[in-house]
Amino acid sequence: MRRASAIEKETEEITTVKDLTAVFESLASTQVAKVKTKVELSKSFFELLWKRYSSIRVDPATRITNRALGDKDARQVFVVISAEAGLSGDIDQRLVGTMQKDYDPGTTDIIVLGSHGASQLSQRGISYVRFFKIPESDEYIDVTPVIEALKPYTKIVVYYEEYVSLGVQNIRSIDLISSVRDMSENADEDTMTAEDTIFEPSLDDIADEMEVTMMRLALSQTILESSLAQSASRFNAMAVAKKRANELIGDFMLEFHRAKRSESDRRLREVLISLKKKRKAAGEAQ
Amino acid sequence: MKQPDTTAPLNVIARSPFNVYYEGPAQVLSAVNRVGPFDILSGHADFFSVLRPGEIVIETKDGIEPVSFMINNGIITVRDNEVLLFVDM
Repeated sequence: MRRASAIEKETEEITTVKDLTAVFESLASTQVAKVKTKVELSKSFFELLWKRYSSIRVDPATRITNRALGDKDARQVFVVISAEAGLSGDIDQRLVGTMQKDYDPGTTDIIVLGSHGASQLSQRGISYVRFFKIPESDEYIDVTPVIEALKPYTKIVVYYEEYVSLGVQNIRSIDLISSVRDMSENADEDTMTAEDTIFEPSLDDIADEMEVTMMRLALSQTILESSLAQSASRFNAMAVAKKRANELIGDFMLEFHRAKRSESDRRLREVLISLKKKRKAAGEAQ
Repeated sequence: MKQPDTTAPLNVIARSPFNVYYEGPAQVLSAVNRVGPFDILSGHADFFSVLRPGEIVIETKDGIEPVSFMINNGIITVRDNEVLLFVDM
């Protein structure tokens, strides 16, 4: 059996871990609430803008990509949106694992957002063509450099983390151009044409601007959604770690008390044996 | 082109992704696009434009301080006296 002092020291260390996980859990919970509000605000903004964008009925695929559709040499790109730091459970591992199942290095390039995803890819020996840091989500995320990097590709598949609830986060993928196009086709907004609307500077210029803006917003939305899922996953990971630390502390306390009892029993036994020996020696002397 | 209704009030929604700058009735909205500065009043023709960086001023009621804010980029649309202003995207 280990010594009580050694167990006590280990219990103190686990208590520190428990306190730290409680702090991280609380921070993650605050972050979930903060990002959730932003996701909702940003979503309603996107829907409102979408209403107007859909009224000019344009196909984004022909405008935002530099390559002609159907070009056999054109490569597709996977955009992996991961966390900037660790401590968010296994969500990034699941993300990279899902992406890996669809990945063919012969036809596909990878662009990764977030340092944690980049390190996950490196660990699996998967190379990526570009890396972008995930900006702080306190400000609106400017994805202009990412959109620029995506322009040469005809197909853009975004892998991201979806927040379902505090307990459930899923991995999702969307074809960015197709989803923007599908949304436009399903729109019920009346068409705005040059016959009934003044376009300044011109319908073509506005369509160009709107398409890039919509792509930018769609990508920003997925980054924000991922950030929410990561915060929720971090909260869960910390809650599990805290629970485990509490269990360990309970186990250690039990072990500590047993060790203490055993130590005092041993001391008592030693005293009794020593008394016995002394009595015996005294008896022999008489 | 449709005949604008000058009797109906102008309704303005001015938003950025995380902020609502103004939502409600207004008398005049002023902004700047590539062509130059312009004003939107009730009964304005349907309009769609990309905005330049600058100040947006929304005059809501007589005698009340107008709502104003600076923008880096934006899109404005006017349809049936409803102005949707999307900024800083």
